Parts: sequence; structure tokens; C-alpha cells
Amino acid sequence: MSRSVWKGPFVDSYVLKKAEAARESGRNEVIKIWSRRSTILPQFVGLTFGVYNGHKHIPVNVSEDMIGQKFGEYSPTRTYYGHAADKKAKRK
Amino acid sequence: MSELICVGAIAGSYGVRGEVRLKSFCAVPEEIEAYSPLSSEDGSQSYSLTLTRAIKGGFSGYLGGVETKEQADAIKGLKLFAPRDRLPSLPSDEYYYADLVGMEVYDTGGVLLGTVKSVQNHGASDLLELQGEAIKGTALLPFTMAAVPTVDLEQGRIIADPPEGLF
Repeated sequence: MSRSVWKGPFVDSYVLKKAEAARESGRNEVIKIWSRRSTILPQFVGLTFGVYNGHKHIPVNVSEDMIGQKFGEYSPTRTYYGHAADKKAKRK
Repeated sequence: MSELICVGAIAGSYGVRGEVRLKSFCAVPEEIEAYSPLSSEDGSQSYSLTLTRAIKGGFSGYLGGVETKEQADAIKGLKLFAPRDRLPSLPSDEYYYADLVGMEVYDTGGVLLGTVKSVQNHGASDLLELQGEAIKGTALLPFTMAAVPTVDLEQGRIIADPPEGLF
């Protein structure tokens, strides 16, 4: 069953506070968070979070298409390297 | 001869008519056929490749010089390589993982941070995994214009401006 709309999205309060402080400071920094369950909100767009995966903080640059997802979705807890082959990386 | 890049592997024989079962490591798996002829790791053997169909876990296809099931069984586990110069050229600000791996990463002051161990993408942006003496274990650097302002493929070096708290 999906979450009731009247409750609004769930976000741990410390994540909101840290994001607000980072935005006000204007510094280029990674906001370390442990809350994988928090929903990504529109006010997080453009910030970089370090989302803990049980081992280390994985940098997650928040973009508009990530709104509504959970932070944990972008910080996998298992490592799989695979092969580079012809895979491409794009600088955004 | 240019650097060889692993694009696939033989998983065994398929059927009894000399077809092979093939795993593709390419971003678009079918494109492995476009890099044919493929070679073995040491470059001593060369194989033309024709895909026949998609099967569970990969493709079936014919390799040049492999005509029987016994021959196909004998090359099980063989990794297939394509020369780097056969990959199509990319627009600016797009790079092959294979080109980025091994590059040295310096900060804006010219201090060596480490080398690129791997490139990862977990759904947000591409990440460069760095390893070096200055880094405990490995560190992930977002592959963005802000964090990586310069990529010099010819000199094999990357200039990074990592955000605070990354290392």
C-alpha cells in the first residue's frame, strides 16, 4: 500500500536542516547523511549528498528527475564492477 | 596496434552445429557484432562474429573458424577484445570508461590525488572511483563540470576540484 497523500513525503528532519544550512552557506560541500529512507524533495535539487551505504558515503548529485525517489536508491550497498567495454560517461 | 578492450566472453557452445553462447559487456549488447573481428587477449587469434539470436543471458552466434560443437566447447571462457580505435568517436564531455580508467587525478593546485580505479553510475551521475596514497581506501568523485573541470585524454590527467568533505 502506498503512503497516504495527506501525510506528505517523509524526510528525516536532520536532512532538511543540513540541506538548508548548506544552501544558505553557498559552499561547495558534500552533505553527509545516513537517512536512506528520506524522500528527495524539490529543494534538494543542485545539492550533493553523501548517502551512507553501510560502508562509506556515496556522492549523489540531486537533479530534477530524482524528486520523489528515496536517497537509498542511489547508494547501492553491494559493489559490482562489471566491464568497462564501450560504456560512456557524460560530464553534466 | 591500439589498446584492446574486453567487449565480451564465450560462455560455451550452443546447440550441436558450432554455434557459441556469448556474453556481451557492451552498453548496447547487440553492438558487439559491430566491433567484429574480435581477438583474444594476446591478439594472436582473430574471430569474425555473426549473431544469430538473443538467448537467456546473452546471444548465440557463429565465430569464424569455429565450426563444430567441440571447437566451441574448447574456447569456453575466452574473452573477446576489440581495438580501442574501433569504438566510435564521442562528442565533447563524453568519455569512454576505458579511457578514464588509469588516468591521474590532480587537484587545482597540482597535487596528485590518485588514479581512476573505475567509473561507476548508480543512477545519479557518473562517479570516478579514485585510489592513491592520499586516499584511505577509495573515494568517489562526481563526474560533473564543477567537480572535474578538465579532462586531458592526451596527457592522461584529470584536474579535479572536489567538494569539501569528499575525502
